[in-house]
Amino acid sequence: MPMLKFENVSKIYPGNFVALEEINLVIEKGEFLSIVGHSGSGKSTLLKLIYAEEQATDGRVFFNDRAIDSINHKHLPYFRRNIGTVFQDFKLLPQKTAFENVAYALEVSDESPEEIAELVPEILEIVGMADKAQKFPRQLSGGEQQKICLARALVRKPLVIIADEPTGNLDPVATWEIVQLLMKINSMGTTIILATHNKDIVDKLNRRVIALDKGRVIRDHQKGRYAI
Amino acid sequence: MKSTKLKRTFREGMDNFRRNGWLSFATVSVLAISLYVISVTIILGITANMVLRNIQEKINVSMYFNSDVSESRILEIKDKLIGYQEIQSIDYVSKEVALEQFKKMGDKNPSITQALDEIGENPLLSALVVKAKNPSQYDIITKAISNASFSDDISRIDYEENKSAIDRLTNIMKLVEQVGLTLGVVFVFIGVLITFNAIRLTMYAHKQEFEIMRLVGASNTYIKMPFVFEGIFYGAVSAVVVMISLFVTSKFLAPLTQGSIGGGDLTSFYLGNFFTIFGGLLLAGIFLGTISGVIAIRRYLKV
Repeated sequence: MPMLKFENVSKIYPGNFVALEEINLVIEKGEFLSIVGHSGSGKSTLLKLIYAEEQATDGRVFFNDRAIDSINHKHLPYFRRNIGTVFQDFKLLPQKTAFENVAYALEVSDESPEEIAELVPEILEIVGMADKAQKFPRQLSGGEQQKICLARALVRKPLVIIADEPTGNLDPVATWEIVQLLMKINSMGTTIILATHNKDIVDKLNRRVIALDKGRVIRDHQKGRYAI
Repeated sequence: MKSTKLKRTFREGMDNFRRNGWLSFATVSVLAISLYVISVTIILGITANMVLRNIQEKINVSMYFNSDVSESRILEIKDKLIGYQEIQSIDYVSKEVALEQFKKMGDKNPSITQALDEIGENPLLSALVVKAKNPSQYDIITKAISNASFSDDISRIDYEENKSAIDRLTNIMKLVEQVGLTLGVVFVFIGVLITFNAIRLTMYAHKQEFEIMRLVGASNTYIKMPFVFEGIFYGAVSAVVVMISLFVTSKFLAPLTQGSIGGGDLTSFYLGNFFTIFGGLLLAGIFLGTISGVIAIRRYLKV
């Protein structure tokens, strides 16, 4: 059973803007998939369909054989707890410390205080941010903020982590640290879907690469290199 | 909702309130100003009413009886008048009592005593002092008395002499009531509008956070609750601020209102009704804070 399946998926935004067209895609559990393409090629839209921020105009997206568009609005928050998300602009809550940002992901899913007290430091240790736990996002560098985001995405042990240009705002050193973290997370069994512009990353990863252009999949290689 | 959720969202709300120092300060200020204006309007309305009622208490109409009418006859008439629904009270002032009162006035003015001594006998008439329930009813009452069967016993009614003063007071009362009510409604409306807008802006500042919270898997209720608590804090803190401001205001105005409000001044009125005012403000503040918050959030909470 594939973890994610796109069946003839199209997404047309208001104003007749076609973001995705006839996408057919299967992603297996444990994969490390990179999605490459120019700005506006539909990478982010593809990802948004997975975490149900957008709905497909045509076709269906299945997550573990369940059609995402059939999920009741009320149950969406529960569904999203299976998916960790990381973004270029971090999306940390500015009024919370690093620790609290990570803990928040557990609090919303009703984890006990004991569980939170145990899990959060553990995860912060994994991403190498244990000593910055009490800092607010504004006191952290871009790379450090992104590590906190990864920690937050990871802490609920999601089935898949979706990373939309996670290194877009980072310097080369920080970029490489994040990629290594993603690889480490993947090696522990979590599926990773990474949208990126960064040629170096894709080439070094040497894993499956999908290239998008004008909303269509133009290439899908199991051991791919960056090429559009 | 489970108690851990309640506890967590309460703490969230408190942290938001504390950590967004300036935003909280601005929101509380706007809310406090609105509540202050609204409560001053209401308190002014109430006290103006009390002052007028105080003056109204002092208005009455006396009917003087011919000197040959016996006391028992006067009391008989008094019993008849008691049945009028427009009349609030009737006091019998016999000519002896009237003389006593008159002599007391003479203590300050020796010429009065002199004049009385010269006359030798009591020149005053017994009277019934009538108080109406409403100053506009004196007209009806005096007319009814003039046409009554006992009208021959009456020497005179001093209504005509007081008529213009009574009419003026009646008009003032009507005006104060209308203006007060209009102003009150306008101020309440403006206050609600300003508060609503301020809190909407506050929520707008949180807009991006709602998105983040949703992506992390927070349910709508979980996102909303901290802001409900935040609204409660806004309301509660504003209520305290307004209570202090009102106390200062009442102190400031106290000399002007000395003795006119139920025997005390504005400060004693404030202290006497402390808990009523505070409770009202607390309710109004919390209501305004949470309702406008919840309405504002709904716009940003598409799933």
